[in-house]
Amino acid sequence: MAEIKIKHLHKEFGLGDDKVIALENVNLEIEGDVFVSIVGPSGCGKSTLLNILSQIETPTSGTVSITNKGHKALPGYVFQAARLLPWRTVMDNLLFVQEEITDAIRERCQKYLEMVHLGDKGNKYPGELSGGMQQRVGIARAFSVEPDVMFMDEPFSHLDAITARSLRRELHEMWKATNKTIIFVTHDVGEAVELSNRILVFAKGGVLKDDIQVDLPFPRDPSDERVAIAKANVLRKFEELDLVAT
Amino acid sequence: MTTATAQLPKSTKPVSLVTRWKRSTWIPRVLFPVAVLLFWQVGMQIVRRIWPFAVDVLPTPLEVVDMMWGEVIDPFVEGKQAITRENLYLTFGRSLLRLGSGFAIAMVIGTIIGLGMGLSKAVDAFFHDWVMALLAMPALAWALFTGLIFGMGNRSPIVTVVLTGIPFVIVNVREGVRNTPRDLFDMANAFKVPKNRTTRHVLIPSLMPFFFAAVRYAFSIGWKGLVIAEVFSGQDGAGWTIKFYYDAHRAHGIIGYAFFFVIFALLLEKLVFEKISNRVFKWRPKTTDVELVEALFDGPDDAATATAAAKI
Repeated sequence: MAEIKIKHLHKEFGLGDDKVIALENVNLEIEGDVFVSIVGPSGCGKSTLLNILSQIETPTSGTVSITNKGHKALPGYVFQAARLLPWRTVMDNLLFVQEEITDAIRERCQKYLEMVHLGDKGNKYPGELSGGMQQRVGIARAFSVEPDVMFMDEPFSHLDAITARSLRRELHEMWKATNKTIIFVTHDVGEAVELSNRILVFAKGGVLKDDIQVDLPFPRDPSDERVAIAKANVLRKFEELDLVAT
Repeated sequence: MTTATAQLPKSTKPVSLVTRWKRSTWIPRVLFPVAVLLFWQVGMQIVRRIWPFAVDVLPTPLEVVDMMWGEVIDPFVEGKQAITRENLYLTFGRSLLRLGSGFAIAMVIGTIIGLGMGLSKAVDAFFHDWVMALLAMPALAWALFTGLIFGMGNRSPIVTVVLTGIPFVIVNVREGVRNTPRDLFDMANAFKVPKNRTTRHVLIPSLMPFFFAAVRYAFSIGWKGLVIAEVFSGQDGAGWTIKFYYDAHRAHGIIGYAFFFVIFALLLEKLVFEKISNRVFKWRPKTTDVELVEALFDGPDDAATATAAAKI
């Protein structure tokens, strides 16, 4: 579990006429084992925000602090593409990101592979697995470092609908089992409603427009009427905020 | 009402011998050289009837095989079987040593320059045009030029190998550095993986395909350069021996030695490069493996569909 505090966060790219504002005065607090989704149209700065939180990019101004009980929180990442080392086996891919490699760590990695139903695929190379299985390895890798906070950047956007659905279910179960803070970027409102307690809506220009609480019991079935209504409500907000692409 | 279809079990009927023959690729593969040899043999008979002097110039396949066999068994049978000064093994041994030396030099210098060009635009600009010029330079020109400078001996063939092979090493290593997978480095950075581990597990493996392509190119191009250099400035070696047969006016010797070159290159490819390649790139998926894993993964779903279908 982590505590994220973002104050007056501002990020721009380029100079002079080419200047693009990616995030504008974002203020945010996220605390506890919450699942927070960041949604918005393309170019609204959602991936930039995630990159800043992940320290892949630095903000132009403003502060970001990610802590766990006063200490620097340990992060985990799941990317849009699985980003596995094709020349290492599945197990070695998990071991690659570990601080040290001991028998206990190996067992821990095996445990997370089993959680994503790939317990028997540790000796396979990524190229021998399907896209869905590769992304499962990516998820297991992120959980295997036992992070306090997990950053996920549209992890299911490359997958077919059926695979994405089963992975969402697995992710939800892992989140419940491990009590992580998860920050999840997606362009799929349905996905956000199905998974999150909280949805942050960003508009073009990187402005945080809305902070929606989704108070529905888990697990949420996308065919459930309440989930469908919640999704419709978020989409209506999109229209009210004039976020729908024209 | 829902309907579902179950997959029928795969046919276990044995495939007939004729179908197997039709499907196999090795028969047409063997058929090609057999057809060539047959055409050659028959053609020679006809040519020799029309033009009797062809006996001195154009050999039959049997004469070539006879000469090659003589070279092969020379050191193992008493008496001299081959007409050359040094036997086949010694000749190729000498050439291989020269090739190895030149190749090693080309790899070391080429890798350093290639790395520099891949990492720095200034270094790339400095070398770019000259590398392109080297690529366009014929091996023959290097062989003559180095022959003039170094005279007879080992140096001319070795330097020719270096000069013909090096641009291929440079270009491949440069491309390797330029194509390092950015997203994997970002992943390693995000997970705070130590730099030396990233170098060992991300940078070096990502360079391997390019490095290996460099090795293969440098070896095959260098091999051709070496033979030409040995023709002009060798006193022994494979190139010199082919020249010897040329001077002796023995066409079967030239053709036989050309076959030895091909066999040697193929052996090198099969026994050395392919073995190393399979070892280094064992992670590359084979199509059948992917299908197999997918089938395993889809297996339970297929079984469920079949069961559902059976119930309906």
